Amino acid sequence: MTEMHTPQAGDDHAADTDVVALLMRQHGDIRNLFDEVEQSTGDARKDAFRRLVRLLAVHETAEEEVVHPFARRNIPGGEQVVEDRLTEEREAKETLAALDDMDTDDPKFLPRLIALRADVQEHARAEERYEFTHIRRSTDAARLASMAKGVKAAEAMAPTRPHPGVQSGAATWRSVRWPR
Amino acid sequence: MTFNPLEQRGIPLDRQLRNWRELNVEPIDPDHCDPYTRCRIITMNGIEVEAILFSHQLARHTVDPEIKRQLARTRYIEAQQQKVVNWLLPGVSSVLETTIAYEQVAVDLTAWIARMEPDPYLKQAYQFGVLEDFDHLYRYANLYEMIEHRKAESIVDGLTEVIPGRPTKYHHRNPVDNVRDPYDRTRTDPLSKLHALTVLSAEQQTMNFYMNTGPTYMEPIARQLYQEIGLIEEEHVTHYESLVDPGETWWEQLVNHEYNECYLYYSFMEQESDPRVKAIWELHLNMELEHLHIACDLMRRHDGRDPAEILAPQLPNVLTFEPNKAYLRELLGTQMDLTTLGAGYVRDAHERFEQMQEQIHGGEEPPSEQVITQHDAMFGREYRLETEGEHPDPAMRENS
Repeated sequence: MTEMHTPQAGDDHAADTDVVALLMRQHGDIRNLFDEVEQSTGDARKDAFRRLVRLLAVHETAEEEVVHPFARRNIPGGEQVVEDRLTEEREAKETLAALDDMDTDDPKFLPRLIALRADVQEHARAEERYEFTHIRRSTDAARLASMAKGVKAAEAMAPTRPHPGVQSGAATWRSVRWPR
Repeated sequence: MTFNPLEQRGIPLDRQLRNWRELNVEPIDPDHCDPYTRCRIITMNGIEVEAILFSHQLARHTVDPEIKRQLARTRYIEAQQQKVVNWLLPGVSSVLETTIAYEQVAVDLTAWIARMEPDPYLKQAYQFGVLEDFDHLYRYANLYEMIEHRKAESIVDGLTEVIPGRPTKYHHRNPVDNVRDPYDRTRTDPLSKLHALTVLSAEQQTMNFYMNTGPTYMEPIARQLYQEIGLIEEEHVTHYESLVDPGETWWEQLVNHEYNECYLYYSFMEQESDPRVKAIWELHLNMELEHLHIACDLMRRHDGRDPAEILAPQLPNVLTFEPNKAYLRELLGTQMDLTTLGAGYVRDAHERFEQMQEQIHGGEEPPSEQVITQHDAMFGREYRLETEGEHPDPAMRENS
């Protein structure tokens, strides 16, 4: 099968001068891939799921490396806000890792995927409302732009596999292998 | 159909109060629900909001404290109904996502009512209005893809097309040209009264929603587009509310409100695909039957008239959410270039219209045009969902 395109930060023609706008669009890309996995079967589903796993991995890594550290230091109550988000991410990664070992045509796959989708969607909206809003308030345009660059760079370097054990431990993400 | 709400008894009012556990409803799943379930929720929220606001206005015009207390009792239950209905919407949805669902309501509700409306003047009012909501859906869909990288198709699910209608920039008319002529309450079909109240309530809720949620956006184009379309909702409320005969007494209006709520809960109960939501429509119908009886008693006492004189002998055909694609395409092919002049419709850009256009646009492209330009810069195309072929108006085809 030919390699299908995985959406990545900056693959539209937007200026990408705002890290928050960039990440919000990527939340939509993730949601689109969930649709694609749900609506396909067989090899097409396997492929869509592989792209979803990859996108989730690079997206979360970029947030952990670029966005959460900034929020921790610069927004009021940032420590707790980021802690809450990391807890949500950890839970999602655990579910994702379990799904990763499963055949995408297994009858248990879809119900678990839908449960994961709900968790991921709640996590994404919580970031947008309780973290991103405050990031935009507490910094200037230059910093939003440099963080957008940072996210794109982090995604280019990021591992493409989930690992629930450690946050921001890029090396640990690589230790999980693709299913056959 | 033989359902006559006047002959049915519902749940006694003193048994209608719900506790926190009962009010705490589980929301629908935005990614897997029937889009028309979400449309029914949004419609009934608008209906309940109108019921509450109308009752408050009535109370403010009522001297007798005993009647004020009676209105307050029913209104508190209606406020609980509004909470249950609107809280079916999920917290994970964005404002823009909900906005697109609001426009789907405006399109398919107004189109269905236009199809069913027996009075030609009223029918024209709905046909005129629906082409504007249709265009709003297209503008917001382009904004949605810019901000969230999601296609409106994931919300409307191919049931409603997303293509240009009458261009939003031409909706800005001199306010005096938004006032229509009212129906005559003594001669009009009772169904026409229900239609007018339903569309008016839906548009009023849309106006309230945009005026309050628009400024929660940080993106300049989003803030501006909500301002622009929010002002058109003001025009639409003016347009539809002026269809209602102002000669109806307060009590007659109250009876019409309660009767319409029975009609809509009954309609939605009949067609609801989600069993959990269907149970809510059924429960609320049984509450509304009692509210209707209370309203009828008030009308008999204060107007000295029998409510049966102003109501249909039985409920009309159920109001239905269903695709209206062919009907809308026919309107797109024939009514795109209409505007209003006084209480009528013309094809010419008359002087008062031109003057308003010049003043409000200030020599610049309005947000509704900028959103398409900005979307094109970002993706190299527009967002459209054409399920039935190219646009019926050749001038409105992409790249034309």
